[in-house]
Amino acid sequence: MSKRQLAMVMDLNKCIGCQTCTVACKTQWTNRNGREYMYWNNVETYPGTGYPKNWMELGGGFDAAGDLQPGIIPNLEADYGVPWDYNYEGLAKGESFEPNVEPTWGPNWDEDEGAGTFPQDNYFFYIPRICNHCTNPGCLSACPRDAIFKREEDGVVLVDLDRCQGYRYCIAGCPYKKIYFNPKLSKSEKCILCFPRIEQGLPPACAQQCVGRIRFVGFLDDEEGQVHKLVNKYKVALPLRSDYGTQPNIFYIPPTESPVKFDANGKPIEGSNRLPMEELEKLFGADIHSSVKTLKDEMAKRKETGKSDLMDILIAFKHSDMFRLDNNYYQAVAKEKGQTPLAPVDTRYLAGKYTKDSGIQYYDPNATLGGHH
Amino acid sequence: MKKIISTLLATTLAATAAFAADIVAQKVDADLTKVSYTSPFWKSAKFSEVTMYPQTAIKMNDKTANKLNSDNGAKIANVAAVYNGKEVAFLVVWDDVTMNIQTGYKTDSYADGFALQFPSEVKDVNKLPYIGMGSDNRPVAVYLQKAVRGFYEPNGDGNVYYQLNRNQTEFFGPELKKFDKKVKGIGSNDYEKSFVSEGFRSMTEIKDASKYNSYSRLSYKDKKWMGTLARPISDSYATLNKSAFPVAIATWDGAKLGRDGIKYLTPWLSVELEGGQDASALIAATSAKVKGDVAKGKEAVSTNGCAGCHQIELSDPVNLMGPSLANIGGYATAGYLRESLLNPSAVIVPGYNRNAHSNYMWYTLDNGKRVSSMTDYTWLDAESLNDIIAYLQTLKAEVK
Repeated sequence: MSKRQLAMVMDLNKCIGCQTCTVACKTQWTNRNGREYMYWNNVETYPGTGYPKNWMELGGGFDAAGDLQPGIIPNLEADYGVPWDYNYEGLAKGESFEPNVEPTWGPNWDEDEGAGTFPQDNYFFYIPRICNHCTNPGCLSACPRDAIFKREEDGVVLVDLDRCQGYRYCIAGCPYKKIYFNPKLSKSEKCILCFPRIEQGLPPACAQQCVGRIRFVGFLDDEEGQVHKLVNKYKVALPLRSDYGTQPNIFYIPPTESPVKFDANGKPIEGSNRLPMEELEKLFGADIHSSVKTLKDEMAKRKETGKSDLMDILIAFKHSDMFRLDNNYYQAVAKEKGQTPLAPVDTRYLAGKYTKDSGIQYYDPNATLGGHH
Repeated sequence: MKKIISTLLATTLAATAAFAADIVAQKVDADLTKVSYTSPFWKSAKFSEVTMYPQTAIKMNDKTANKLNSDNGAKIANVAAVYNGKEVAFLVVWDDVTMNIQTGYKTDSYADGFALQFPSEVKDVNKLPYIGMGSDNRPVAVYLQKAVRGFYEPNGDGNVYYQLNRNQTEFFGPELKKFDKKVKGIGSNDYEKSFVSEGFRSMTEIKDASKYNSYSRLSYKDKKWMGTLARPISDSYATLNKSAFPVAIATWDGAKLGRDGIKYLTPWLSVELEGGQDASALIAATSAKVKGDVAKGKEAVSTNGCAGCHQIELSDPVNLMGPSLANIGGYATAGYLRESLLNPSAVIVPGYNRNAHSNYMWYTLDNGKRVSSMTDYTWLDAESLNDIIAYLQTLKAEVK
């Protein structure tokens, strides 16, 4: 266990599956050098096969006794999908426009399909997934070379590429299949929670670019932080498949609102709910019920009284509240390690347990508008 | 206790001194810095047949690979060695019906390969480093060559520009082809790596200048792999005795998803340098077969509750507390078995990441020093000890 844990909360009620996070991550980290097929961040449709295909059935993680379970390493063509390309140059010569490989599978192959029958009771929602930076990582436990480590200062799980020998047991060990083999380097690579950005005051690319503003980033022990409030105070943000026993540190606000079902005549069935609670329970465990109840209660409270701290948080007014990166803390850690602390490149997200608010006033939607009096 | 051990050693030595070395290195008058299987001196070299056993001390967590390797068969390799006073070279030949090269854009392809392991130094032939890449204070040097074709340094030798996705370059047509060629050019087809290790979790790649001391080649012909390694008799990572030294060989089969622990390995083998001094102490230590009653030994293993922590035979349930003994007779020396029984903390098998099986504390830390959870068996009489070791020496896979 690390000294502190940086965590992320994603509000699934607001994810529109636009893949902006996916693209932000890809252009930042994985569009080159053997990482082309990897999605450190992906957004998948649930119910669906996910990425890689059927990742929930590929083993890894821990059983109830705490023993690492064997797993399966996905195949690039069949399970991840080959990043194909087109013969752009041939077009000029009059060739027909063809992909260079026959695409047979890829991430989001079954996007928006979901389950149920259209239009009566079909449903789906999106789950954006990154590495869970687990407290008890399956990848780390599986590595026979001790090449994977969890950073003491913020719990970010990283691969030491000098030690990694490309054995891929980590991929079998991760129940989320969020660590990947780089065939060009013959080493494993994974989401790094954008630690070089974090250390300089920038939230992870996926979180900053999110157009739905669904992602909150901060330390779990930062009681002023929205991440702490959502996870520990209101207990509405839940880890994904915590039954794998890895203690993930990416939390999700479960989807609470779904349309009613239609009967055979296309009439709405009052009081029905398209989203089966069993599915949510499978993903988020038994705590889903109290989480959904709190969310619904607070939503009603907000409707009636106009006031709800939880709803205010979930509206995500200000990035500077959503991202609390505690820059003083990172500066202190760097000094402790004898490194030269990097100057923050952005001063908006520096607040945290050990960092007072920068004091800089940005746009406040609650402030009274108007001139001086 | 000391007395018991020395008497036992004396008897084992007497019983085995007549054996020849596993590998006899011929003296040649040739440059051994760049050796391959076509080097002329192999024609007259003496080849020895050695048995490689499947590594089963710990079980890896790859479901598919475990299934493919469940047959638990041993393999034969033919080994020859030559030396010239300064360097020593080995040729290892083993059958493999499939040539597996890890190449291309794939996530689940694995390479065939081989490795040679040398103790960094041998102070006591009866206390060799643990066969699984050494042990605390008993380091080994490991030389690995694998059929990995086209791999790149993580930092692209510092050339970030050529890490770009080809689609994001400003090139088209012939210029793009030139870019592709340049990228291909900075890839390496020589996977050779050397490591220093004190137990398999600790294995660390040698990246200083001495990594250039060794030279390893791997070729496939007539359904056989031929691996060669040349290295100085002495360098900063391993000082080999000029008369005889131990070596251990491992091979990997990519078709069975072999890598790391999914491998075949020999026990410590004795290499005698022709024209050197008496090598009988090492030969005895590596080849000793302890005389004992195997049936009584099996009985003693059972009554002493060894199965409480160890898997004894592969048909027994996996036990995560201690290393599986299923092939221990294949790759452990009698000396190692005796030492482990009498002083379990002398060599503690690194085992699983402790996080992987947190309920199995096979060692505790005492002031940073690992203390084995295994009780010692110093109280056993000499005969029972011999019986147990004789039984453990029978625990090994058959050649298939």
